[in-house]
Amino acid sequence: MAVVEGGEPKILENAEGNRTTPSVVAISKANERLVGLVAKRQAITNPQNTIFSVKRLIGRKFADAEVGKDKSWLPYEIRAAADGGVEIKMGDPSTSSGQAKYYRPEEISAMVLAKLKADAEMRLGEKIEEAVITVPAYFDDSQRQATKNAGEIAGFKVRRIINEPTAAALAYGLNRDKNEQIVVYDFGGGTFDISVLEVGDDTVEVKATGGDTHLGGDDFDK
Amino acid sequence: MSEENNVNNENNEIKPGEAAPKDSEFEKLEAELEKSIRERDEYLDGWKRAKADFINYKKEELARLEEIVKFGSEDVIRDLIPVLDSFELGLASLEKAGPVEKGVYMIKGQLEDVLRRRGLEKIKVTPGEVFNPVYHESVGTVEANISTASYQSGTVAEEVETGYVLQSKVLRPARVRLVK
Repeated sequence: MAVVEGGEPKILENAEGNRTTPSVVAISKANERLVGLVAKRQAITNPQNTIFSVKRLIGRKFADAEVGKDKSWLPYEIRAAADGGVEIKMGDPSTSSGQAKYYRPEEISAMVLAKLKADAEMRLGEKIEEAVITVPAYFDDSQRQATKNAGEIAGFKVRRIINEPTAAALAYGLNRDKNEQIVVYDFGGGTFDISVLEVGDDTVEVKATGGDTHLGGDDFDK
Repeated sequence: MSEENNVNNENNEIKPGEAAPKDSEFEKLEAELEKSIRERDEYLDGWKRAKADFINYKKEELARLEEIVKFGSEDVIRDLIPVLDSFELGLASLEKAGPVEKGVYMIKGQLEDVLRRRGLEKIKVTPGEVFNPVYHESVGTVEANISTASYQSGTVAEEVETGYVLQSKVLRPARVRLVK
């Protein structure tokens, strides 16, 4: 997460002092809700209740081929929602007060965004009410809308949803000098995305996207 | 004719009675005063904001400098942790082969002392304690056995890799196995 200070973006560290926050949410065996790195640290011994890669599910229909493929390897349970979307099971009924509950992917995303909001507010000492959220360039309208909803559930007024490669180009100030075509590659935790952008004076247009939806740094860690 | 009248009228307005020039001068002065007051408020407001911004900036810079001093050596310390791991592994292997020179322990102690003075602390792990993901990372489970029989399921069974904290920031969590 970042804030714009004096016209320049500045990355904010989270409460743990890190510049990145894994999008992982969990209900621990002690029935506590964990978000970010702490959730990731208990993933191996609590796989059914540790939700990650929710970006693969957000705004999709349960019947989508992609969701079907992901369901086969995701360690947590998902089911079809009443409107045809996806619902994720989280919570451990085996604990004393634990109760399994089904969440929409946007609710899980909202938990991550709410943590970022709280951490940013702590760092800056002021309320953060508005946000710009980035999404992969290949996200369709439904996925973008669901991401916007997640931001609103977290208490943000979502000013804009922008493409991740566009955000990267802007952060590097690539729109300042000249009209050019650039390639942005994003080797993330779970996915590898590559985009060709046309950068003009006031516009950044995504011309093409590609990549591997199942290749990322997590594969190297295995 | 009507145009002439208009001109006359205008002339009449421009040249009113004796008191008129004073009034217009007064109005002019009043407008200028109002403008000046408005501008004064605007500049004063701007100056106050700039002053507040500067005070905030000074505070932020001070906090940032404190962070730099506190965590300035974080990168080096982070790089030294694997060296410390290797030292411990090497020492354990030497101990298996036979008695180890006292001096080797002293060098290890010296290195640990330097890092401790810089704020690095080991995360203490006690078998049987409650798993806390703030300081621990679970890497697997172990079946309950004689040594872990008294521990509750889900608590820490054993430490696999030492964790470290630098000035209350977890640089590396202690990697642990939990009781199944």
